[in-house]
Formats: sequence, C-alpha cells, structure tokens
Amino acid sequence: MNLGISMFFERYKKIIVAFILIVLLFALGGIIVPNFLTVEQVLFTLKLASFTALFALCQMIVIAAGGSGLDLSVGYAATLTAVLTASVMDGQNANLGAAILIALALGSAIGLANGALVSFLELPPLVVTMAMANILQGIVNAYTAGRNITGRPSPILATLAAKSTGKFPNILFILFTITVLVMIVLNKTKWGTILFGVGSNETTAYLSGINVKAVRCAVFVISGILASLTGLLLIGNMGIAFKDMASNYVMPSIAAVVVGGVSLTGGDGNYIGVILGAIFLQALTNLLIAFGLGDAGKWLAFGIVLYVLLSFYASDRRSR
Amino acid sequence: MNKNNQNSSRPALSNYVFRPEFSSLLILIVMFTITAILQENFFTLKSIVRNINAFAPLILLAMGAAVVIISGGIDLSAGSALSLFTCVLTTVMKKSDPITGVYAILVTLAVAILVGVVNGFGIGYLRIPPVIVTFATSYIWLGIGLFLRPTPGGESVEWFRIFYNPGMIEGIHPYIKQFGRVIPPALILILAACLIWFIVSKTRIGRHIYAVGSNSESAYASGINTAKVQMQACIINSIFIFLAALFFVGQNQSGDARMGDPLTLRAIASAIVGGVAISGGKGSVYFALVGALILNFVNKIIFFADISTAYQTLVSGLIVIIAIAAPVAYTLYSKE
Repeated sequence: MNLGISMFFERYKKIIVAFILIVLLFALGGIIVPNFLTVEQVLFTLKLASFTALFALCQMIVIAAGGSGLDLSVGYAATLTAVLTASVMDGQNANLGAAILIALALGSAIGLANGALVSFLELPPLVVTMAMANILQGIVNAYTAGRNITGRPSPILATLAAKSTGKFPNILFILFTITVLVMIVLNKTKWGTILFGVGSNETTAYLSGINVKAVRCAVFVISGILASLTGLLLIGNMGIAFKDMASNYVMPSIAAVVVGGVSLTGGDGNYIGVILGAIFLQALTNLLIAFGLGDAGKWLAFGIVLYVLLSFYASDRRSR
Repeated sequence: MNKNNQNSSRPALSNYVFRPEFSSLLILIVMFTITAILQENFFTLKSIVRNINAFAPLILLAMGAAVVIISGGIDLSAGSALSLFTCVLTTVMKKSDPITGVYAILVTLAVAILVGVVNGFGIGYLRIPPVIVTFATSYIWLGIGLFLRPTPGGESVEWFRIFYNPGMIEGIHPYIKQFGRVIPPALILILAACLIWFIVSKTRIGRHIYAVGSNSESAYASGINTAKVQMQACIINSIFIFLAALFFVGQNQSGDARMGDPLTLRAIASAIVGGVAISGGKGSVYFALVGALILNFVNKIIFFADISTAYQTLVSGLIVIIAIAAPVAYTLYSKE
C-alpha cells in the first residue's frame, strides 16, 4: 500500500509539481488581484489556455518521438491556415468543409516537409522547423502584402471556439474530447507504444521491427495537421485573421510541455500534465498583466520558468 | 553500382572539390560576380563602404554562431541578445553627456559576458540541450529588452557614430573623417572579431573548443573541462554580438528589443553555408564570414531582381533548408 503511494508520487512527481504551481498562482492572484478567482475569470483563463494546450499537443507528440525533436513552425502553420481560409469561409457555414480540407492539406504538406527533412535527411529539427517558420511567415507576408485579409470564420467555427454554453466556454468541450482521445490512443493502443518506444530507445524500437524514420516523419505530419486545425479554431475565436496571429504561441507551446513534466529527450508524455502546464502559463500571464507587466514580464517569466525547470529536470540524467 | 569502384575513384576528386570550404568559396565568387554585374558602380569606394556597412552585423553574428556550433552548441538567442545590447546601450547613454557613452560600453560589455555565462552555464554545466537553453534565454533577453525599451527608441551620445560613420560627427579631426571614409568602422569591428578569434584559436581554448565539439566524451576523458570550454565559446559569441550592437547603435542612434530576431537564423545559416558542420567540431570561423557574405549577396540579388521585400523572409528560410540539406542529400545520392 505504502509502496503503491510512493510509486504514484514518483511517477507523477512533475505533474504534481505543475498542479501545486497552479494552485499557488491562483491563490496568489486571488489574494492580490480582485476578481482573479471568480468563476468567470477562471473559466476565461482556461479558455485562453486551451489554445496553448492544443499547440502544446503538437509539440508533445513530436517531442515524445525523441531525436531531440521540436516543432517551431506550429504557430506559423496556424497563421497561414487562418489567413488562407479566412476568405474561403467568408462567414458561410457551407464553406467550412472546404476550409477544413485546406487546413488538412496545408498541415500535412508542412508536416511532411518538416518530417522528411528531419527523419530522412537527418537534419536538426530545430533548424529545419525554424527555417520552415520563416518560409511560412514569408508566404503570409507575401500574401498579405498589398491586400487586406478579408473574410470571417463560419458561424459554426465561431460558436465552437468563441462562444460559451452558459458560463462554460465551448472550446473546453473540444479540449476535453481531444484529451480523452489522446489518452486512449497513447495509453491503450499500439500507436502509443510505438511512439514512446521510438522515443525512449530507437535501437530497441528498430530491432523490434518498427520503422523509426517513418514514425519520426509521421509525428511532424500529425503536428502540422493539428496546428493547422488549431489555426481554424483561432480564427473562429478571434473572428478575423491577421499576420502574426499565432506566432506568439510557439514559445508557450514548448514551455507548457516542459512545465507539464514531459522529458524533452522523448519517450514519455502525459497530455494532462501538458494541459496543466498551459493553464499555469496562462494564469502567470494574467497575473503579470494584472501587475501591469504586459509583454515584457510575460516573455521574461516564460524564459526564466523554462530555464529553471529545465535545469532541475536535467539533473535527472546528469552523470558526470 | 559497383561499390569498390566508387570507393576508390569518386572520393579522390570529391575530397578536393566537395570540401565545404571549397564549394562555399565557389558560390561566393559566383554571387560576387552576379552582384557586380547587376549593381552599377559596384567597385566605387562609396558603394563598397555601403556594402560593408550593410553586411557587417550578419558577419559578426555568423562568426559568433560558428564558434558556438564548433564547440558543439548552437545559439538561438543571438538575435535577442543583439537587441538587448542595443537597449542597454541606449538606456545607459544620455545624449547630453558624452561620458555616458563610455559607461554604456562598459555596462553592455558586462551584460554581454553575463549573457554568454548564462547560455554557457545551461549548455555546459547543466547540460540542457543547447537549442532549448538558448531558446529559453532568447525570451529572457527579449523580456529584459522590452522592459528597457517597450517601443524602439532611446538616446545615444553623438560620438557613438564613430562605430558607423565618423564623418557624421561634428568637429571631429579631418584626418579621422578621411580615414572613416576609406576604411569604414564596420570593417574595423569585423577585423577586431577576426583578431579576437585569431588570438583565441592560437591558445589552448581554441583547440579545446574543437576538441569538445568533435567528441565531448573523449575530450572530457582526456582532462578537458568541457563545461568551461562551452561556456568560453558562448562568451566569445556574446562579445561578437556586442560588437554588432555597437555598430547598430552607431548607425541608428536607438535601441529596439525586437530588431535582432531575423538575424538569429541567418547567422546560423551563414555558419552552415560557410562549411561549419552543425554536428560540431568541424569548420572554420573565418569561413562563416564567407557564408555571411553569400547570404548578404543573395539578399542584394533578390533586391536587384526586383523581388518584393515581402519575399525576403521566405527566401532566407528556403536558403537555410537548401544549405543544410544539400550536403546531406549529396552524400546520400553518392552512396547509392
């Protein structure tokens, strides 16, 4: 019995840390900032956090496959999708199908390019996806140069992403559904076993007949598709598309994964922890904004949180 | 295909021709020629000085990036560090008081060393993957920069133009004015960086940087303090970035917390195009300069080809991918 509890703590140590951090932040906010702990405010925080959490899902899947994988192009894939689909949807539900098809095509093309370069040419993921981010931002710049981005999201999309049922933001239902799906796929199907197998030990995975390169390529395709679909949700939430709408999500998506206790060396990944990470970062942002430390405080805090947590977690595998 | 045949004959030629340094020099000559044809007055003194000024920041950052990459790291925070330094310089300086310029240089140099230490500590001592450390610190520098300069601006002492164009300073000695017209300060900054690296590469530190980059385990086993070496590489990089910051503030007389961002990837790309192996331990810091020249000439050619500047981000991203993918694709192709 005692052993069971201590094993539970050992396994979920980092998630418990993330949870405690969130509670502390909300407590601190509740004491210092008026209205920080009202139901509306907390739900609003959760709503904003869910977009970060969706981008962090892309990140988590890429990271879990190991090979020091990371995807810096997620925010840019989302921006490009939103910008291109805005005029296609044009505020009509009938065009939503076309928009989703565009998102799927774009996402898989971007992901395939990333994945092929990373896994088959064995190029460093960070440099490849950073260059991809430049290319995508370049396309957005070229597309938006000299013309206005017209078009609005379809009403269905706006309902899903921006509206609430009662006090409860609809996006949380989506996030909940995705969480359940992710947990089932990663923990109960062979896909999860393959993913974590490749991430934790690629030689063993290779010897047991897994095509490591194909898996590492596939995670980027999944990441690209999820990022593009998240781009659709973002335009649904904001009502318009603009040049830099999602590039600010790249840093938080990685930070959320780290705060959520996922090892950056690959081989594990608990999406619930990642969602907690996203909530933590959003609550931190809100608190900083309440103190009047907008952008500067946010980026500084995110950078420090990432650096400090990494230095703690890196000690796990420091040997000499 | 016959494998033996390939092993004996093909690499003999390719050993010379496909050395990364050779191909980057070749590309540079081609780029240089195209630019010289496209640009009128390319060889006039005025246009050469203007080109050196335009090229200098990327050259300095590329050399720094090369040092870090050779030591087995990578620096994603170079651009934000550059921005931070311009913010610190313009915050410490007061336009009315010339002596503040000296204070600003000293304070910023201290900040630069601190930046190198923080990056190097994470990479070397904490052994967090370099990309992640510098990704995290890039946001720390951005945050501090935004605290100092929420919007671009700030003030600078008049004599700081000596890092850009001494001719613009009033009442300066005519000889210095003439000298600045022929030899731009940007060139002196680049030469200073070359000199720093020349001295460092002759010392033990320089050899250790290569040793740690090519095989950190065996370097450690042979008694090299690998963490310290990686930190030293980061500090050298930071000092090169500091030189670039002097140039920027000399030119613009203001600081901007986001101005350096596009340079990060271009600096890394320059080093790779110049033949520095991304895996570490191989390549030359001086050839990073060649890589930076190539990227700069590409930008000029884009400009002359009348491609809209909106495409510049797109093109530089494509160049990076091609630059790092081409050598690998070539090896894969020649293996078949």
